Amino acid sequence: MADYEARVIAKSDINAWVRALMANAEVVAPVAAHLDDVVFQPIAAPEQVAWDYENTIQPPKTFLFPQVENIYRFQRNGDRSIEVEATVDRTKRVILGLRSCDVSGVLYMDNVFSQDNPDIYYLARRANTTLISLTCPTPFPWCFCVCSDAGPFLSSGYDVQLTDLGERVLAEVGSEKGQAAVDAAGNLFSPAGQDAIDRRNSLEAQAERIFYQRETNHMASAMRRVSTAQVKDELWEAMAPWCLGCGGCNFLCPCCFCFNMHDFPANGGGVRCRTWDSCAFPGLTREVSGHNPRPTRAERVERRFYHKLSYQYLEKEGLPGCVGCGRCVITCLGTTTMPNISEGIRRGTWR
Amino acid sequence: MNNIYLPELAEIVEVEEETPDTRTYGMRLVDGAPAPVFDYKPMQFIELTVFGVGEAPFGLCSSPTRKESFATTVRAVGSVTNALHQLGKGDRVGVRGPLGNGLDPETIKGRDLLFIAGGIGLPPLRSLIWNVLDQRADFGEVTILYGARTPTDLVYKPLLGEWEQRDDVKFLVTVDQGDESWTGRVGMVPTLFPDAGIKPEGTLAFVCGPPIMIKFVVIELERMGFASENIVTTLERHMKCGVGKCNHCAIGHHYVCMDGPVFNFQQIKEFMEEA
Repeated sequence: MADYEARVIAKSDINAWVRALMANAEVVAPVAAHLDDVVFQPIAAPEQVAWDYENTIQPPKTFLFPQVENIYRFQRNGDRSIEVEATVDRTKRVILGLRSCDVSGVLYMDNVFSQDNPDIYYLARRANTTLISLTCPTPFPWCFCVCSDAGPFLSSGYDVQLTDLGERVLAEVGSEKGQAAVDAAGNLFSPAGQDAIDRRNSLEAQAERIFYQRETNHMASAMRRVSTAQVKDELWEAMAPWCLGCGGCNFLCPCCFCFNMHDFPANGGGVRCRTWDSCAFPGLTREVSGHNPRPTRAERVERRFYHKLSYQYLEKEGLPGCVGCGRCVITCLGTTTMPNISEGIRRGTWR
Repeated sequence: MNNIYLPELAEIVEVEEETPDTRTYGMRLVDGAPAPVFDYKPMQFIELTVFGVGEAPFGLCSSPTRKESFATTVRAVGSVTNALHQLGKGDRVGVRGPLGNGLDPETIKGRDLLFIAGGIGLPPLRSLIWNVLDQRADFGEVTILYGARTPTDLVYKPLLGEWEQRDDVKFLVTVDQGDESWTGRVGMVPTLFPDAGIKPEGTLAFVCGPPIMIKFVVIELERMGFASENIVTTLERHMKCGVGKCNHCAIGHHYVCMDGPVFNFQQIKEFMEEA
């Protein structure tokens, strides 16, 4: 952060800036959709951006790791030879207006897809994506980003971090990509004065105060117990009936990345696709013989929370697999959300 | 950057019928450079693509000491395997690999080795057995115990005859249920133990077969005094990506495709999730 200068822009100039960004890249932003829903979508005009939103139904994950993504195309030739061509998406994108938790989700995914065997599909999209995030001065009722240090304000990880200061917007620049995004506005930005920085810091303190007045959800305590195998099988079995196995939490989670591969033949050739999968589905582990090493819902619920909450995974992946965005709280048809499960683990009982 | 999901083209150069539903496919890379066979270790695996149908993991049954081709033995049970059984010599498939840890034969030189296989569990062990027998002088005693449900389900029948003939290999075979022509032993694999002259002290046991067979064999070996770290298996999981990304093969925080598939039972006992 120290390497780049913070800037401010008048709110009345924001649309001009967004228009400049749109000249160089596909701009994805929160857009009002059906009823009160807000979703990330490529925009056609700056006026579409829903700046004053709570959080989107889905994280922007799908623009880096799509729900369905072509991996390669293949074509058979007459002489039994086969041509295989990788389909890597290198579209220039700006994801505008994502919240701090979603930036943290991307940072987690960066670790997953870059370690050991780097994943060119994710990393090519990521290299061509600029993240312009939005801080959260007023946490929403279901949020708990403070539990995994994933918000409400970030000190790094974003390309540009925007804070609403009223008439003006503060833009903290976190990377070269961020600098380029700000430079695209020509002279619409001016250097931020100390007053703007002070205002930002007081908004951050205000946000943290709101969090600390709430009951904590005991994630740290749950982590300790999960990591040291102190959660009894009976507790997972008691929790399991409250999970409907729908996979909604996985699909809406900024940090869930289980996937499957499918082939689709067409006209003497075809494509291989990767699609999201879910640890809530028995098919994730079921083998063709019918044998399933993780056959019960209790084991599958345990699996989800072992991945999210164990130190073993924290060590492996570098960041916790939960950013406290609260989407699982909103989507769960049952009650097996991160706050509920964490609390159940800490208490050792399920109510 | 290397594309971890893109298969290389391989040509099927040999097809061997093992049982009515099981065949061995020998393959060579089409554009293999520097050689048509990649470098690999026994008990590593490949992801094999039948284009337009899908991809699935298969243990290599060939040995890196035999460089003319690499091979895998496949039972037709699902979509990819049934589609593969429609292919023959000269057809092309996709291959990613070698994948997984495998087992470096250097690390077990001089040891007495006991191989215990059930049904289609013999192929992954054959990769190591061949490697050992091709460098026979470097290893101690070699004992191979093999069982299948019926005589028809025994794979590599000509090879079993060869092993029976060798005086530097102790080979015993049994079936759960004989037929009119079967004159050999009848019974589950552990019934071979008393006649195998097993020395629990220092012997390294390799076990591969259906989960229920592995379970009873390991109980018996431990009862005989085998240390858990001297019992080695290759775990089977629905390994979709084979490169530690997709999470299908996770056991606790281990990925069978990356940390395995070869594990000893001390490691397996320390998993945070039941294997």
